[in-house]
Amino acid sequence: MTTELPDRVFEGLRVADFAWVGVGPLVSKYLADHGAEVIRIESSVRPEPLRRAPPFVDDQPGLDNSGYYADFNSSKQCASLNLQHPDGVALAKRIVEHCDIVTESFTPKAMRGWGMTYEDLCEVRPDLIMISMPMYGLTGPWSMWQGYGHVLQAAAGISHLTAYPGEEPIGTGVAYTDFLVPHFAAAGLLAALDHRQRTGEGQNIDFGQMEAAIHATETMVLDYTVNGREQSARGAGHQAYHPYNTYQCAPRSGDVGGDDDDRWIAITVTNDAELTALLQVAGQPDWRSLSDDALDARIAEWTRTQQAEALMQQLQEAGVPAGVVQTPEDLRNDPQLAHRGHFWFLDHPTMGRRAYDGPSFRLSETPAELTKAAPLLGADNEYVYKEIVGMSEEEYINHLVSGAFE
Amino acid sequence: MTGSASAGPLAPFRVLDLTNELGQLAGRMLGDLGAEVIKVEPPGGDQTRFIGPFRGDVVDPEASLHWWTFNTNKLSATLDLTTAAGQELFGRLLDTADFLLETTPPDAAAAIGLGVESIRASHPKLVHTSITPFGRDGPYAHWKATDLVGTAMGGLSSLCGAPGRQPIRPTASQGFAQVSAQAVVGTLIAHYQRTRTGRGQHVDQSMQEAVTFTHDNASPTWDIRGINNGRPGNGREIGGYKSGQYVYEAADGYVAALSYGGLFGLTARQTIAWLDHHGMARDLTSEEWLTKLDATQGVLIPPAGPDADYLNETLVAFCKQFTRAQLVAEAQQIRNGWGIVHTPRDLLENEHLAEREYWQEIEHEDAHVTYPGPWAKLSKTPLSTRHRAPHVGEHNDYVYGELLGLADDEIEQLANAGTI
Repeated sequence: MTTELPDRVFEGLRVADFAWVGVGPLVSKYLADHGAEVIRIESSVRPEPLRRAPPFVDDQPGLDNSGYYADFNSSKQCASLNLQHPDGVALAKRIVEHCDIVTESFTPKAMRGWGMTYEDLCEVRPDLIMISMPMYGLTGPWSMWQGYGHVLQAAAGISHLTAYPGEEPIGTGVAYTDFLVPHFAAAGLLAALDHRQRTGEGQNIDFGQMEAAIHATETMVLDYTVNGREQSARGAGHQAYHPYNTYQCAPRSGDVGGDDDDRWIAITVTNDAELTALLQVAGQPDWRSLSDDALDARIAEWTRTQQAEALMQQLQEAGVPAGVVQTPEDLRNDPQLAHRGHFWFLDHPTMGRRAYDGPSFRLSETPAELTKAAPLLGADNEYVYKEIVGMSEEEYINHLVSGAFE
Repeated sequence: MTGSASAGPLAPFRVLDLTNELGQLAGRMLGDLGAEVIKVEPPGGDQTRFIGPFRGDVVDPEASLHWWTFNTNKLSATLDLTTAAGQELFGRLLDTADFLLETTPPDAAAAIGLGVESIRASHPKLVHTSITPFGRDGPYAHWKATDLVGTAMGGLSSLCGAPGRQPIRPTASQGFAQVSAQAVVGTLIAHYQRTRTGRGQHVDQSMQEAVTFTHDNASPTWDIRGINNGRPGNGREIGGYKSGQYVYEAADGYVAALSYGGLFGLTARQTIAWLDHHGMARDLTSEEWLTKLDATQGVLIPPAGPDADYLNETLVAFCKQFTRAQLVAEAQQIRNGWGIVHTPRDLLENEHLAEREYWQEIEHEDAHVTYPGPWAKLSKTPLSTRHRAPHVGEHNDYVYGELLGLADDEIEQLANAGTI
C-alpha cells in the first residue's frame, strides 16, 4: 500500500496576514516556512513599519529594501490593499473568504473600525480561526494602548530583571517580547487548528502579548505572591550558582584596548564536579578556598589572557558549561548552527542573496523549507485578486485605477 | 484521581514529560492547552524540585516555587529508567501517549531507553521532542549549557548590557523559556502533520538555535551592513544605528519610552507638542528641530551626538516631574506607545490584568496561591489553570493502575523494588 504523503505540513492552508512589525509576521512565518500559503496584506499608504526600518541594502531606504522586514517574511506572498479606500474592506473580506486563518496585531480599534472583527469575518468564513495579538489584549482598560516589544518587555516585568545589580532596569537591547510571544501565539493558533481539524469548528483567539510574556519570568510571580519578595536583577548572575558570569577574554588581534577588545566568555558552574573541572583547566586547584568575589576576580584575570574560542573548547571538553558570548558575526561562523543549517540564503529581486533565519527545530519527516525571499509590496496582487478572489481582468484594472491596491 | 479534565484544545491528548529545567515550560504549555501531561520523575523526586526559591526559603522538594511554576497542570508518576523493569514499563506508558518531551543529553538517551531511532521504530505514531542545549548532533551536541551559556552562545547576551561593560542576561532564564516555547511550536507542527497522515515524527530542538531567534534585526544587520549590533545599555540598536535612551526615571519609578521618548520618528510632532503643553519642550518646537526629528516622510534613522544628548536631557528633566501612570496615560493619548516598567508588585496590583481576570488562584493543601493565568484566550476551547503541581508520585495509582491496568499488588511490588 502506498499512500501519497503530503510533503508540506500546511499545504492547502491559506492565511490572510494583516499583522505587522514583529509578533504577527513571526507567527505566520512558522506557517509559511512549513508550507502554508501566507498572504501578507499591506498598503503603501500606511506601510508596514519594518519596511521602513534599517538595515537597508546599500544603505538605500526603500519599501522593498529592508533586511529587518525580509527576515521575518520568508516564504510569503504579498497583496497590497488600502483598507481606508472605499472598496478596501469589501476586498479584504473577499480575500478572507478564501482563507483558513486571519492574523492581526493592531490595537483593537482598527479591526472594529473596519468592521473586520472575528464576528464580522465569520459571516464570510464560518470556520475561520482568527488570532488578534494586541499588546494588552482585546479587552480591559489598557486594550487601546499601543506599544512595541522594547516597551512590552518592561511592562511584562522582564526589564525589571534585566540590569546590572542595583542599577536602572535597562532590559535587553532588543525588542525582546517580539521574539518571545510569537511562539506562545503560534502554540495557541496551532492548537486551535488541531481542534478545527478534528471538529470543523473555528474560533477567535484574544492574545494579549503582556499576558504571555509574564510566563517567561520564571519564579518572579510566585516569589512575590508566596514569599512577598520582589526579585531583582543579578547582571549575568544566578541566584544559586557560582561562578556563573561573563568574563572578558583576550582580543583576537592581541591589541588590548583596541577596536576588537570586546571578547567575552560565559563560564558557569552548577555542581562540585564542574567546579573541580574548572579549577583544573585553570591550573589553580587552590582557588577553591576563595570567597565568591575573590574567585570571580581571579577567573577574570585568567580569562583576560585567553582566547575565548579556545577556552570554551577546553572548558567544555572538561565538562564545564561554558560558551563564547557570540556576536551576530560569530553566529554566522558558528559550526553548530552551520551543521543544523540555521541560515537560509535566498534570492530577493531587489536585495539580492540574503541570509534568513530558519526555525530552531528540526522535524525528522517534514522539515521547514524557506521557499522564497520576502515578497515585494504587492508582488502577488494578480495571483491573489484574480486567481484566489476570482476577479476578471476588467474588475482588477478598475480597482487598480481607483487606488484600492495602493 | 484520574487525568485532568479540561476544555482545552489538546484535551484528547496525553504527554509524557521527562524534561529538566531546559524544557519544563514546554510541558506546562501543553498542559495549559488542555493535554494530560504526566511528569515522569525518578523515585525520590525530580532534581528540579530542588531548584529555589522555596516557600519560606526552606529547602523542600514539595515547596520549590520553581517546581510549582513549571509543573502546574501536570500529574506525577515515578519511574526508575535506569533499570530494565523501568524501561519496560516506560515502553508501555509510551503506548498510551501521544507526545514525549525529554531533555536527555544525546549521548545518554539510548542507555535509558530514550534512543530516538528505537522509539521511532516502536512508536511510529508518537511525536517525540528532544530538547537539548545545542541539538542532537553536530560538533557541540555533547556540550553542556546553563541558561547563561545558552544566551551567550545564541547571541542574546552580546546584545544585552552596556557598552564597555560585561554582557548580562535577563535574570529570569530566557534560554530556557525560548527553547521550551519554540519546542511547543515544533511539536504542534509535527502533531498537525500527524492528524493528516497518522504518522508521528521526531523534533530536534536546540536552545542555542532558539536563542538566535531573539536577535531582533542583528542578523540581517550583519548580513547587509557588516556591522554587529552591540550592547546598547539603556536603549537599542536598529540596523547598526544606536537609538536614544528608552527607560526614563519618573517621580515614582521608571517608564519605558520609545527611542528618545518618541521625540524622534513618526511621533515627533505630537510628542514635542505634548512636552510644549507642559512648558518643557525647550527649543524642540523650532522648524530646525522639527526637520531633524519628524520622520513621517523620511527614514527611521535616529540622530546622534549633541542632538541626541539634547533630546535625552529634555526627556530626563520632563519625566522626573510626573508619575509613571500620568506619563504613560498622556503618551498613549497622543498615540505614543510608552509603557510602565513594572515590578512584580506592580503587575499583581495592575488594574488592567485584574479586569481581564488574568491571575488565577490555585488550591494547595494549606493555601491558595496566585499564579499567572492563561497566556491566550481561545473562545471555544479555553486554556485553563486546573490544578497545582503534583507531589512526588502523586498519580502513580492512576498512571499504573488505570492507564496500564496493573493490579494494586503489582504496583506495590514495583514500589518495593524501587522501580516506581
